[in-house]
Amino acid sequence: MVELLRLAPGEHVDVPYLTTFPYADLAIRLDGLSLAFASVTLITAALLMLARLRLHGDRRDPWFSWLLTAAATCAVIFAHNLLLVYIALQLLTLAWTGALDETARRRRGLRLSVQIADIGLLLAAASAIQSVGTSGFSGVPSDTFALPAFVLVLLPVVARVAALAVTAGGPQATVAFEPAIVWVAPAGYLLMRMLALMGGRLPDRPTAVVLFAAATLVALAMAALALFERSAARRVALLLVAHAALALALSTGADPLMTVACTWLWLLLVPLAGVASVRVGAGSLPEALTLVNLAMIPGSTAFVGLWLGGLALNARGLLFGIIPVGVGVALSAIAALSRLKRPRSFQLDPPTVWAAGLLLIAAFPIVAMSRLVVPAAATVRLVPGGTVATSPFGIVAGGRFFPALVVSLLVGIALGVAWWLKAPTLPSPASWGGKSPAARWGGKIKVPTLPALPTVPPWGRFVLWGAFAVAVYNVLTRP
Amino acid sequence: MILYIPAALFVVCVLVAYGSAGRRRQAATVGTLAATGWSLAVLVDPGSVAWAIGPIGASLLLARPGKRVNSSFEGLTRRVATIAVALLVALLLASRLPVGENPLLLSAVPWFLGALGAAWFTSPIDQSERLQGQVLMVAAAAAVILATVPAGPLTASLAGAMALMPIAGERWRLPGSLQLPVSLTMLGLAAVALVVAGVGTSIGRIVLFDFSLDVSGAILLASAVLLVAGAALTPIGSEWTALLGVLVVSASAPSLRWAALGALVAVATVLAKEGEHLAWIAFGVLGLTPVLQGVATLTSTSTVRVQAVALALGLVLIVLASRVGVIRVLVLPAAGFLVMLAVTTVTSPNLVRLQWITALGAVLLVARMVLAWLIDRSGRSALVRDQLLFALLLLGISARDSLGLGALAAALLLIDLAIVRIEVMPERWSGTAARLVLLARSNWPPAVTFAGASMAVIATLQASLALGLLAALLLAGLQLAPLLDGHAVAPSPQRPRSPLGWVVPAVSIACGVAPALLLRLLRL
Repeated sequence: MVELLRLAPGEHVDVPYLTTFPYADLAIRLDGLSLAFASVTLITAALLMLARLRLHGDRRDPWFSWLLTAAATCAVIFAHNLLLVYIALQLLTLAWTGALDETARRRRGLRLSVQIADIGLLLAAASAIQSVGTSGFSGVPSDTFALPAFVLVLLPVVARVAALAVTAGGPQATVAFEPAIVWVAPAGYLLMRMLALMGGRLPDRPTAVVLFAAATLVALAMAALALFERSAARRVALLLVAHAALALALSTGADPLMTVACTWLWLLLVPLAGVASVRVGAGSLPEALTLVNLAMIPGSTAFVGLWLGGLALNARGLLFGIIPVGVGVALSAIAALSRLKRPRSFQLDPPTVWAAGLLLIAAFPIVAMSRLVVPAAATVRLVPGGTVATSPFGIVAGGRFFPALVVSLLVGIALGVAWWLKAPTLPSPASWGGKSPAARWGGKIKVPTLPALPTVPPWGRFVLWGAFAVAVYNVLTRP
Repeated sequence: MILYIPAALFVVCVLVAYGSAGRRRQAATVGTLAATGWSLAVLVDPGSVAWAIGPIGASLLLARPGKRVNSSFEGLTRRVATIAVALLVALLLASRLPVGENPLLLSAVPWFLGALGAAWFTSPIDQSERLQGQVLMVAAAAAVILATVPAGPLTASLAGAMALMPIAGERWRLPGSLQLPVSLTMLGLAAVALVVAGVGTSIGRIVLFDFSLDVSGAILLASAVLLVAGAALTPIGSEWTALLGVLVVSASAPSLRWAALGALVAVATVLAKEGEHLAWIAFGVLGLTPVLQGVATLTSTSTVRVQAVALALGLVLIVLASRVGVIRVLVLPAAGFLVMLAVTTVTSPNLVRLQWITALGAVLLVARMVLAWLIDRSGRSALVRDQLLFALLLLGISARDSLGLGALAAALLLIDLAIVRIEVMPERWSGTAARLVLLARSNWPPAVTFAGASMAVIATLQASLALGLLAALLLAGLQLAPLLDGHAVAPSPQRPRSPLGWVVPAVSIACGVAPALLLRLLRL
């Protein structure tokens, strides 16, 4: 993250470790995209580990596998050429499955599907080597990759997004590492990297239209399925897939604002998938906050990206394109919020802080936008200065202002009122003079009890000091 | 008229050999060899007669029983038909591939010798005659090539001496006390070869009178692979056969190189006879390439086309024959590297021809496997992973590209098939050792299989889209193969467990981690 802050817009640093082949040196690539994805992935991985440490009831010891998996994902993200990315993807598959024995039955179908889909990336790398003699990210002209190569790279992306839906619903661990680190982060990174190699745009307009339509339809279908899904884990997975599909749909755009929008969506989807993979009690605060994030309503991180994407579509005269996206968002909101329960208790644990942190990012997009998302988007394609301007109160893009803080506050108040109206418990009759407010307002509404203030754990002070240090650093580096 | 005397002598000797037993027959066999030597002396130069020393010595070693074996009508008919057809084919080949403007009957004598060897090998009256057939085939290969591509007396005598190898393979084993030192020496030599090639020291060629050995980077790599395979995987006491393989890849003279390949095939099929006939046919087809090369400039360019086809066909046949045993451990890498080196000289239009045949061969391999399974589902079928790797090997060798990826893929897959995918540690391992062995034989990144298969896909896509897609399909199948094969690998050719078995996983991981080093060796 520090490296990301030090990089100038559009700058990249290639660090070669070993010169092997001219087309496949062992080197890492440090640019806005790789550093942003690596930062988000590592933060998410650390938070997952923290959440796992704080949760009890699972006796398995996943640390070695998780560390290897996180390292392999970073290898995918930092790899300097497509061939190295392919090798790192295989290592990632080996790390998360632990299936050194290829005949092992555990998640064999999923593993083999992903491995076969990855061959698409190998073919794309071979195609690049054939065209320009290298598969490195430096030195490949943007017209190297035609439609077939793009479709081939899309295979591992689609396989990983599909894996999100397929893997949910089984016996759930207390914390699942795969959704965020194994599926979403590599999928998002691969797609954005491919777009970067193609100069930020798809080969032609019909391809973009078809891909946009297909991805939006998938998002609609997943959101609709989530509506009828009874299993909470599967519902969350379907909503994540809908989120990813919308991110994919917006990745088809060829203008800077759209690129910023899809980069925002992909980057913020990683921690969202992470927090959604932590098993929390039904009716708990983190569950409620996660569902709000998954609902893609105003005040959630996804909405910021969708708003930017909507602006970009509108600017290109494609306002009708927003309609299916809007329907998808509405379906997701219904699916998520219909299961929303008023939290029965308030406890400051990692999932709560995490989910609340995501909502805070939605309220203060400035936190992630200028230092994380825009540099990453600027790697994919040129993002002129002023495309997106942020302030503590919101975002200005395309001449429109989005008051993120106000919107978040309003949504928060609305949800608070709704919870208050749906309170499962009645307050003590004594406190209302023998007559409850529900009775006074017609006997249909219930009043919640005020929760007790949570106890802050000892490490809370480090969070405070850390936040302070980040703020000071931001002030220091502000131009 | 004097030019026809060798042919006449040969025919008389053949008739005597077929009609007699014991020493008379042995003498007649020597007579055929003398006739061939005579024809060589007339065709090339008197120095070539040195070729005859080896085959005559081998024939003298193969004593014949004094009493004739009773033969049935069917057996007799088969033997007569075999020799008649073989001689006709030899005559046809001699007429199609003339050496200069010499009379047909003179230049046909070495071909006749090959026909006689093939007939005795195909329809033998006993094991001794079968072995004699192998001796004659190896000797004939050397003689035919010597007639086309002349060599000095020392090279000719060495080429002829290869005819002794079938007998050595049958009868001679290293003494027990020497086995380990020889194996270790061979491993040391392999390491030295790799270091020399890696350092990039340009030696080029080692010359002793008219005998010379090429020692370029690719040949050093091939030699190292063969030495490692010989030290760790050949049957006990047969480690020395790897030196024949080294001679195959390093000998400059075609006559010696191809005769050594024939000798290697003969030695390899002593213990495991599976695929023996295919291997000999492959040797015959491959052996035609230097002859075609020799006559190409003299006649028409169509021989160049036939040469490419023969190269591809021979390769496919060798691959089809190399399922188990020493054929797989030594003959496959030796022939594979030989074809790899030969492919560099094929012209572009003929390269496409070669690629077509190898692609068809790859499809044939898979189809043969499926068909065998459909025919007899209860029988033991071939290992799916091996067949897919063989298919990728064919595609890799034929994919000649400017970056050298095809050669790299082929080298990696040859190492995988000849060294790694052979069972040398049958005992069950546990812990780290088991994990290392599993990793070394898996499709995961640090293993040589992964590197070779991935490189093959990239290399074949450089050659053509169709080949690339075929290779990608094979790679996809390779991911599924463990479901069908389990942990099965090809059985070891009669070798008990020893610490040398650890060479196998070490080689696999080393090649998988640093394929770039192999590319460096190949491009020197």
